[in-house]
Amino acid sequence: MNKKTRSLKRVLISILIPVLILSQAACSGKTEADGEFKPRLSTETECSIKVAGNYSNFESLESEFERFYEFYPNVTLNYVNLDDYESTIASALMSDEAPDIFVTGSWMLNDEKKKPVLEKAEVLSDPSLDIDLDCIRKGARWSLENGDVIMLPVFTRSYGMLVNMDIFEKNGLEVPTDYESFIDVCEKLKAAGYEHPIMGANGTTVSGMYYAFGFPLFCDNVLKNPGSVDALNALDSSQGEMMRPALEKLKTFVDAGYLDPKACSDEIEDDYNAVIMRFFEGDVPMMLGSGDTVSGTLKRESKSEAFSAAPFKYRFFVVPTGDDGGYFLDAVNLFFSVNKNSTNLDMTNEFIRFLTSEKELGNMAAIKRLITPTNDFSLDEVYSSLEGFPEDRYFSYQETRLNDNVNKEFRAAAYKVANGIMTVDEAVSAYGSLWE
Amino acid sequence: MKRALIIAVDLVIMGLILFFIIQYANTKMHESNKSMIEAFEKMTTSAEQVITNYLEDEQHLCDIWSNYINRTAEAGNPMTAEEAIAFIRKAKISPSIYGHLIFPDDPSVSGISTHPAMKDSNDYSVSYRKISLFDDLDKIGHEDGGVSLTRAYTNPQNGVQSIAFMNYVTVLDENTGDLKKALLMRVEPVSMLEDKLVFLKGEYESVEISLINKDGDYLVHGKSLKNSNFFEYYKSYNNADIADYNKMIDSVTSGSGTMNMLNSKGEDCVISYTPLRSLDTWFLLAYIPAADLSTNTVVDWLLLGMVTVGLLILLVFNFAVLMVYNKKLSEAAEAANQANEAKSYFLSTMSHDIRTPMNAILGLNEMVLRDCHDEEIVAYSESIRTAGKTLLGLINDILDFSKIEAGKMDIINVDYNFVSLLNDLVNMVQGKAADKGLKLNLDIDRNIPMILNGDEIRIKQIITNILSNAVKYTKEGSITFKAGFERIEGDKDSVKLCISVSDTGIGIKKEDLDRLFVAFERIEEKKNRNIEGTGLGMSIAQSFLAMMGSHMKVESEYGKGSTFSFTLVQGVRDWNPIGNYEETFKRAISERQTYRERFTAPHARLLVVDDTPVNLSVFQSLLKRTKVQIDTAGSGDEGIVLYKQKHYDVIFLDHMMPDKDGIETLKEMKIITDSPNSETPIICLTANAISGIREMYINAGFDDYITKPIDPDRLETLLLQYIPKGKIAPPSDDEEDDYFIPDFIFKIDALDVNSGLIHCGSREAYMATLKMYLEAAPRNAEEIERYWSVRDIKNTTIKVHALKSTSRVIGALKLGDFAAQLEKAGDSGDTETLEKELGELLSQYRELAEELEPLSDIKSNEESDTRPLITEEDMKEAYTAILEFCASYDFDSVVNVVESLDDYRFPEEEATRFEAVKKAVDNFDYDMIPGIISGERDNGQ
Repeated sequence: MNKKTRSLKRVLISILIPVLILSQAACSGKTEADGEFKPRLSTETECSIKVAGNYSNFESLESEFERFYEFYPNVTLNYVNLDDYESTIASALMSDEAPDIFVTGSWMLNDEKKKPVLEKAEVLSDPSLDIDLDCIRKGARWSLENGDVIMLPVFTRSYGMLVNMDIFEKNGLEVPTDYESFIDVCEKLKAAGYEHPIMGANGTTVSGMYYAFGFPLFCDNVLKNPGSVDALNALDSSQGEMMRPALEKLKTFVDAGYLDPKACSDEIEDDYNAVIMRFFEGDVPMMLGSGDTVSGTLKRESKSEAFSAAPFKYRFFVVPTGDDGGYFLDAVNLFFSVNKNSTNLDMTNEFIRFLTSEKELGNMAAIKRLITPTNDFSLDEVYSSLEGFPEDRYFSYQETRLNDNVNKEFRAAAYKVANGIMTVDEAVSAYGSLWE
Repeated sequence: MKRALIIAVDLVIMGLILFFIIQYANTKMHESNKSMIEAFEKMTTSAEQVITNYLEDEQHLCDIWSNYINRTAEAGNPMTAEEAIAFIRKAKISPSIYGHLIFPDDPSVSGISTHPAMKDSNDYSVSYRKISLFDDLDKIGHEDGGVSLTRAYTNPQNGVQSIAFMNYVTVLDENTGDLKKALLMRVEPVSMLEDKLVFLKGEYESVEISLINKDGDYLVHGKSLKNSNFFEYYKSYNNADIADYNKMIDSVTSGSGTMNMLNSKGEDCVISYTPLRSLDTWFLLAYIPAADLSTNTVVDWLLLGMVTVGLLILLVFNFAVLMVYNKKLSEAAEAANQANEAKSYFLSTMSHDIRTPMNAILGLNEMVLRDCHDEEIVAYSESIRTAGKTLLGLINDILDFSKIEAGKMDIINVDYNFVSLLNDLVNMVQGKAADKGLKLNLDIDRNIPMILNGDEIRIKQIITNILSNAVKYTKEGSITFKAGFERIEGDKDSVKLCISVSDTGIGIKKEDLDRLFVAFERIEEKKNRNIEGTGLGMSIAQSFLAMMGSHMKVESEYGKGSTFSFTLVQGVRDWNPIGNYEETFKRAISERQTYRERFTAPHARLLVVDDTPVNLSVFQSLLKRTKVQIDTAGSGDEGIVLYKQKHYDVIFLDHMMPDKDGIETLKEMKIITDSPNSETPIICLTANAISGIREMYINAGFDDYITKPIDPDRLETLLLQYIPKGKIAPPSDDEEDDYFIPDFIFKIDALDVNSGLIHCGSREAYMATLKMYLEAAPRNAEEIERYWSVRDIKNTTIKVHALKSTSRVIGALKLGDFAAQLEKAGDSGDTETLEKELGELLSQYRELAEELEPLSDIKSNEESDTRPLITEEDMKEAYTAILEFCASYDFDSVVNVVESLDDYRFPEEEATRFEAVKKAVDNFDYDMIPGIISGERDNGQ
């Protein structure tokens, strides 16, 4: 099934690809032409703007505050971490001290309970606001059915692997670009004495290794079979077959000893800190994980004695499980929405307008070390492999229209197959009841 | 001081003043900053008090609620949770303050709120399940009046960031009927606290007050403090190691104080911290940019700038004033220099000009010494020689001194024979010492090298000076002249000459030693007033030594004698030792004889060119006995004519001549190719007696030079050197002077012919002098009478003085003595004697003139006058010129013209007039010349 057919059926995506391509060109062109941000309000304006979110600490945003102060020195921007964000944000938006900007997530779109929250969100695609939404990468764009954009993607994440470039260089190897070379590289690495060429957290979370290894391949399969989506979402056990290609490749890797779940369990206690610290030991050629894993690397470089003693170069790559290469599954990590009832709406919009540029979003992503929602990956070298990624292997999670249950079922299936709890066949037939 | 140096010194002083101001301002600023920080800390403390009071008040309100609820329980009538909340709902005033009653032991950590949830207006239940807030519940509940405060958290009911004051209450469990412990929370928006903080800023515009807990988490924080945790913020932007980081945490959480840190922009900022009383887990931070806390230094910089500008203006002004004064000073200095130069010029010109007549004096005196056999006369003549030489010495000193002053004195090194130098010195001093009865001891190192290289003339001058002084200031005893030398290590071509002169003279007082070398200073002037000298000698000697890199040392004991010594490095050209000089000298002394010419050369012919006739005459006289044929020329051009015509064996050419000087004449002579004298040596006659003059004249093309006054010995030595050997014959005994002197002359009683001859040098000269005496007599006598008639004593005396001199020259000794007597009377204003004797003097004068009268009939060689007859035109032109020169007082030119006219024969009718002009010139009566030429004055007058 071709891409055009698929796109017709997408519910949330209303922006057409030709327009996308054009606007992408326009985006980059505009960025270059416009260059710097130009204030539209009086730079003397005095007001206070509050951003509410669930991060306990938001240094990358505070860095943007400082940059914004260069234009509006009398504006005060504040970030507030709300306890129990998911439940308190709705109340907060209704209170006297409602935030001007609040963090939103794609999951809110499907959650009835979050309707009151999203109802408060201003339509950012309103042309009068002059917010340059075109600079956002295709896969990171989310809009309402009517085409209105109420959420500005700030960070995105993907799933793949951290590659120790020095090991590859030392052994004269290229980072694999397709399934065949992936097998080949693993074989060579094993031969070179790397007992476990690939490692990761042996768990069922999205940061676990099976999600990064197999889920993008599964999504590709689903996108190629859009008819299966509804049944998959309904946890119809007959749709378990859709998982087979991914599960089989996973099984192959485990059987070949390229990936050892037991060793991973023994050596990697959690799916975040331990993964990074194990990778920094310097003897793991490929470490599976998510963009969140990558975001934790920078701060931990200095915390790892091994890495401090023998630093090495590392990069993020998607896992090349497809015959033609890996899949770039684009998922937005965090959105900003504007409280349309904000008492300082003009300045709030001005801040969003300021933030919505390759430069500022890139800057924030680079500080957080997450993936920028724009096409400019130049600000953080670790994500350089995503620059100019082929269109046919690039998609966003929302394109799959899969709900969270499917996601969980796949993770459980992969975990069980890899750890020998189930065979591939058993897992396929148990679809719908795999998540415990 | 040089201009740049003055500016530099001024700038340094300015710099120091500015440095002081800056230092002072800095100290003041530091003090001020210190007090600013203290004030800031005080503000922090005040803020802490206000906040603590506020928190305590709020806690107190919470406590009132809880106390009320607890009291009802204690009274046996416990409230249910609903009742308690209803009570609080009534009790609280502010709508933004929530009351929560929570059962912390309940797994859902839930309870009841005074307000419904925002999302559901009917839902009063509240849950803290997802908000971790009660980790330290044990600490809540207090009888001590302390504050139990939560961190800043999100009020689950309204989503507003809040803080809660807590206390335990006892309520009735409706389900069980048991009493139950519940937590009562007075929940207030953080913004309320923040609003309080706004008023705490006080005078600090940019202060930001934050509250943190012991982990560094903010309760409230200002715009500048980022992150959710202050300690993390500090770590992110301040490159602190673990130790510093822990120290900072320790400081902030253990007491009050102030610290500096960098904010997220890398700017220096100040944080004052203090713990909140009653809440040992909360701390107040007051943040302010360091720049805002610093003393406003604008005024200081302004002051500094003003001072700098002021100082610069002062500098420029002073410099301008200084420049004006400098200009005036330099003009004055220039004027002084010019005056000094004029003085120096005058001195050198004078000394030069005096040397020329001195040539005549000493030359003629030499004739007397040679020709006269009258011992008395010879003794007089010796005195003349001594006096003349002394005078010459004085003149030389002045000449040298003016040259040293003008910086024109150079040291010219030449090779010289040390023995010759010694000879000159010893000859000079020997006579003087012997005259005074002093013994001259010589202590000359016989190993001194023969030929040395140095400025012989200057060295001679220095030693002469010392020796002369020694003789001058020693009455009895001896003078010891010592000469030795030392070899110089590492220099094989030089030696160090060691010269010393010791005397047994009057010595010098210690206090006078410093003045010894000061120009024109004469020590003990009064005591030594009869000792001649300019006071320049030692100053010049010291200057010469300084120029040669040495200096004179003096050791002296007053009344006992002095020793002057110096050392001098001299190049060595011939290491052969000089041998026993003392012996050689003694022998020479004993063999010294009266003058005798050293040779005759009757076939040798010399040409002497000099513009001064008397010099020509002296020259001829000096060589008379050598029988050398001498042609003379009065100018360069005249000399050139003779140079072309005749062959000469030696040519003497005066350097300083009007129109064409010696060097120009020499150049012209050298150009002439067909002269019979192309091989003839040409010797320069000069009154310049300075070092290097020989090189100068040799370079100019002369073969040699001789200085005036001419030293007869040197002249003869030169001739022996330059006259071809074939023409040199031994000296003859023929001394006859065959010029005719008429008999009547010998018969005049008033005349001593011999004396006259001695004075005039030869019979011919004597006769010429007698003629001139006769011709001038009538007019002189008349003038004396005329001056006396108006009692013009001054001019009378001058004329009598002239009569004395001229009378003595012709041998009219009695008349001369008589005139001398009256001159003395005139000088002392003794008119009585003059009145009495003047008539007698004039009568004797006229008598003598009468006796000499027959001389006027003897025409001297007039018949054989072969001079060309002057044309009338030339004569008129000459007279016109003379009149013009007279009118402009240019008497030198008058003399020149008159002398040039002497080369012509005048027609008889004009001869008398010309003779009258000549006479007037000879008698310096220039004022009479116009009258003579115009014919107004009697030619005979």
